[in-house]
Amino acid sequence: MSSVASPVEFSISKQYPTKRTGPVVWISSHVARYRYLIVSLLIGALSNAALAALVPVYIGEAINTIRDDPTDLTPLIRYALLIAGTQVLRGGLQLARNFSAELISQRLERDIRDELYVSLLGKSMTFHNLQPVGDTMARATNDVREINLMFNPGINLVVGSANFMIMPLILAPRFHPALMLVPALYIIAYALSLWQYLRELRPVTDESRAAFGALNTRLAESIDGIETVKGSAQEPQEAGLFKKIASRYRDAFVRQGDIEARFLPLLLLGLAEAGGFYHAILLYSRGLLDIGQVVAYFGLIQLFGFPTFVSLFSYSQVSLGMAGAKRILELMNRENYLDQNEAGHSGPMRGEIEFRNVSYAYPENENALQNISFKVLPGQTVAIMGQTGSGKTTLVKLVNRTYDTTVGQILVDGIDVRVWSLNALRKNISIIEQDIFLFSRSIEENISFGKQDASSAEISHAAKEAQVDEFIAILANGFKTVIGERGVTLSGGQRQRLALARAFLTDPRILILDDSTSSIDSATEDKIQRAIFAASRGRTTLIITHRLSQIRWADVILVLRKGEIVAQGSHEELLATSDAYRRIFKE
Amino acid sequence: MGFFSNLDTERYDRQYSDRDLVRRMAGYFIPHRAALLGVVVLLLLISFAGASQPWIVSKGVDLLQQELSPTNILVLGGAVLLVGVTIWLTNWLRRRSTTRIIANIVLKLRVEAFQASLEHDLSFYDEYSSGRIVSRITSDTQDYGQVVLLVTDLLSQVMQAFILGVVMVGIDWQLSLYLFASLPVILLIAFSFRRLARKVTRRGMRAMANVNAVIKETVSGIAIAKNFRQEAGIFKEFDAANKQSYQVNIQRGFVLALVFPVLNAIGGIATAILVYAGGLSASQGMVSIGAWFLFIQSLDRFFFPVLNLSAFWAQVQSGLSAAERVFALIDAEAAVVQVANNPVPRLSGDIQFKNVMFSYNEREQVLDKFNLRIIPGETVALVGHTGAGKSSIAKLIARFYEFQGGEILIDGQDIRSFDLAQYRRQLGIVSQVPFLFSGSVVENICYACSEDITSSQVEKTAYQIGNGEWVESLPQGLTTQVGERGSRLSMGQRQLVSLMRVLIQRPKIFILDEATASIDPFTEWQIQQALNMILANTTSILIAHRLSTVKAADRIIVLDHGKIIEEGNHDVLMKMGGLYANLYNTYFRHQSLEYVNKRQWLEELPVNLGD
Repeated sequence: MSSVASPVEFSISKQYPTKRTGPVVWISSHVARYRYLIVSLLIGALSNAALAALVPVYIGEAINTIRDDPTDLTPLIRYALLIAGTQVLRGGLQLARNFSAELISQRLERDIRDELYVSLLGKSMTFHNLQPVGDTMARATNDVREINLMFNPGINLVVGSANFMIMPLILAPRFHPALMLVPALYIIAYALSLWQYLRELRPVTDESRAAFGALNTRLAESIDGIETVKGSAQEPQEAGLFKKIASRYRDAFVRQGDIEARFLPLLLLGLAEAGGFYHAILLYSRGLLDIGQVVAYFGLIQLFGFPTFVSLFSYSQVSLGMAGAKRILELMNRENYLDQNEAGHSGPMRGEIEFRNVSYAYPENENALQNISFKVLPGQTVAIMGQTGSGKTTLVKLVNRTYDTTVGQILVDGIDVRVWSLNALRKNISIIEQDIFLFSRSIEENISFGKQDASSAEISHAAKEAQVDEFIAILANGFKTVIGERGVTLSGGQRQRLALARAFLTDPRILILDDSTSSIDSATEDKIQRAIFAASRGRTTLIITHRLSQIRWADVILVLRKGEIVAQGSHEELLATSDAYRRIFKE
Repeated sequence: MGFFSNLDTERYDRQYSDRDLVRRMAGYFIPHRAALLGVVVLLLLISFAGASQPWIVSKGVDLLQQELSPTNILVLGGAVLLVGVTIWLTNWLRRRSTTRIIANIVLKLRVEAFQASLEHDLSFYDEYSSGRIVSRITSDTQDYGQVVLLVTDLLSQVMQAFILGVVMVGIDWQLSLYLFASLPVILLIAFSFRRLARKVTRRGMRAMANVNAVIKETVSGIAIAKNFRQEAGIFKEFDAANKQSYQVNIQRGFVLALVFPVLNAIGGIATAILVYAGGLSASQGMVSIGAWFLFIQSLDRFFFPVLNLSAFWAQVQSGLSAAERVFALIDAEAAVVQVANNPVPRLSGDIQFKNVMFSYNEREQVLDKFNLRIIPGETVALVGHTGAGKSSIAKLIARFYEFQGGEILIDGQDIRSFDLAQYRRQLGIVSQVPFLFSGSVVENICYACSEDITSSQVEKTAYQIGNGEWVESLPQGLTTQVGERGSRLSMGQRQLVSLMRVLIQRPKIFILDEATASIDPFTEWQIQQALNMILANTTSILIAHRLSTVKAADRIIVLDHGKIIEEGNHDVLMKMGGLYANLYNTYFRHQSLEYVNKRQWLEELPVNLGD
């Protein structure tokens, strides 16, 4: 499954190597970098619990000294000072524990985010095209943060409370070996009941989360669609539906509350205290313990209070972190679908494209494209038209190997795209997608993104060709204007033309344009037409378009329907052969 | 929690006086008064049980110094057991009860807030972001409910501490004073930590938000970066943000890591003082050893309520302001007011505007003494620049907004006198960005269906449009899931579904705000088909963006600044060479076949472009 050895498209040399076979191994390999901090955490946790356990012991001793000789106060002062001293020391050691945990967890977050990010940069475009940005975001932000929280407070508290759990067991034999009985029983019963509690709670919290999600989604929808709701007088129905969904959440909330209410470890703690007290008095009555020891032992039993309440929270924190780690690891280990073929063909490109009986299906889906064949000469413009879901976008993405065909062949300059070196192939193909992404940087930087050393003359020429120069000129800071800042928002058409300018600078042999902008006014339409015309000159151009004039003047028109080419040819040919085509050119 | 609570005030928010707020909130609790009483009784029980445990133990310690009978031992053990079981049992019952009270109050508040939102007219939604309205209905109600839990939790701890306090003062007031003296110190430290923590947390969150923004930006642009081989550049940017976030968050972590060690150390010192002072008193015979032990043991039970107290006010306050926000949403006044609730018979679709005055706000008069008559069955296209008043006219007919003067008559009746629900059922409205609810295509078509419409009728109508081509292009036909807000369908498909909704509904008045989105020509043709079917049977008001729609209208009304400038059909108006001809050149020219066939823009291009 793992693809650690597969070629990546980007890497940095100084990276710390980690083992990515499983979440625990992976996290451990990260943490191993900071083994000194781990040691300090463990020492801090152990001594913290041990020093805390000393308090009841000293109190017992203090009581004994007063009982033995009420007139001599020196031992009392000694024990009081011991308590104060040990507890201040304990604070210091606890601080060491907390600081270590904090350092580890923050570094873990930083390192893991770094590792994930580098890994993302190394992935192929295929990967990024298939992987939704929102999902990647969630992993790089929330999941990484969960791992941080898993360590601190999660594991920090698990370690801390485990030490508290065992202290009574360790210290009780000081007074009498039989006193180990209650702590031992408690630990077992506690573990079992906690396990049972979590098992019972999980499906209920899942349901309550799902119900809340449903509530939120539907509510947001009704409010966003309020015009539709009101326009069709559906307010009572919406209110009824909302009440139903809100009641579902209410029920889930109550069920969860009921389970949380009867948290069994709380009862067990009461039982342990009673049992421990009874046991100690029993031994006392047989002369096996003194009063101080009874008091000390009871104090030890009370140490269970802290882990009993805290561990619930810390375990769920750890399990959240593990789930996050698993998701991140899954993302990093996911395989690239394409080989880079670095040794492949890499001559200059003329821009001839041929599809030979190409079929393509997305993983576990029926065919998105079926038996596609056509040929485009260098410099020609191809308009691809069809309804949503007809396979237009899939078709163009096969050309630069965003996806690889399953059946048939795609040839560029007569050479199978899989024989081309991927780098050479992509360098000569520019894709402008439907959703145009611009960085929150200056317009200048955006245009020169693909050619960072471009001169300002080149940049302004590209802007002119793409018909954005007039628009840029009216901006206060011109080419230096930062996109997205101070209300600089761009229309779809402007974004598209900026992307065209970006493509101009790199001068690709093949331009692929997925055009879905609409222009509200004719002047804007003129600009878009001119920009696309300029962009298509001198290079092979595939345009997915709804614009009749683009279609009308293309050298080749492909009409797709449900993944098949139902008509192809020039405008005149299609007018003669296709009813559907003729229909749309009728006013 | 509550860090951002002051950021989201809206204009309809109001300050309720404390008395009103309390009275209002009490109203929600009154139906649950029996359960509440039960909770109070249980709280008392828990507090007594909680306070009695250290007392029993201390009595036991005193008993140890005398003669111990087996019965005594059993009684002591049994008493501690009884206390433990009682605490657990009463706590269980209390949590059960509070959960139900909270759940029911939150549910009631939610339903009321949602219903109130449905009553608000569109001017309300124009002004206030829907996201915030949603959060008032979901999270603010929840926060308010949580206050109940907070109050009861704290109350039981404080009561327990109070009972213990009384017992201790009764035993020895001097020792009690030592104990109480430590409390303000703890409170002070807790408060200052809270302030510090809030400050560093805010900075940490800001740094975090920055990393997230950088990740979002660069991950979204990763395909572009790869396309142009710019990975190293974006990595540098990310790396800087990531490192900075680490620096800031580690400071935050260190501050938070200080809290418990410091409190523990102080608790240790307080214990030491009590051990010494108590031992001193015991040695002088002023208190028993058991009582001494009681004091030491009680320290913890004062510690926690005091710690919680430091967070309590902030939490309760944020809960109360949450309540205030929900009430403000419920109480916001509606702008659209019906003067009567007359039943609406089947309309013929006659629409008349008489001297209508309308504005969205004081600054700008949208319609000024506007007059328009639309006769039954007529198709009217409204054209004009943005802000000319096209959609205002349409929205007034839909009664989405209140107008300030004049009259709007539908079939000769005052629009304000209608039963609004009955009236709107005879309207078919398709907005510019058609809205679909998640569910199947057929569910959306039938969103407002009366029950007598069968699915075969829906299917039949669907296939009347372009021979059902659009249905076949959907992956699962009419049962295709449209996704949230219809996101899985293209804009054209959404448009078709909305038109189908109207077709099935058979309204008398049809209002269309035409989409400006780009739609493929095949779908466009089918939309035209559907539109023609609707126009044939209704009085139609079209806010036209497409040439074909304008041409199909019986009458084009050319608007400018809320006034009708020209009227007539396309050919007549073009000949006039007035505003319409101007608008045509601005908005419609590029849609004509002439434009498509001529490549007019080419002629304007400078020099050597023909290759």
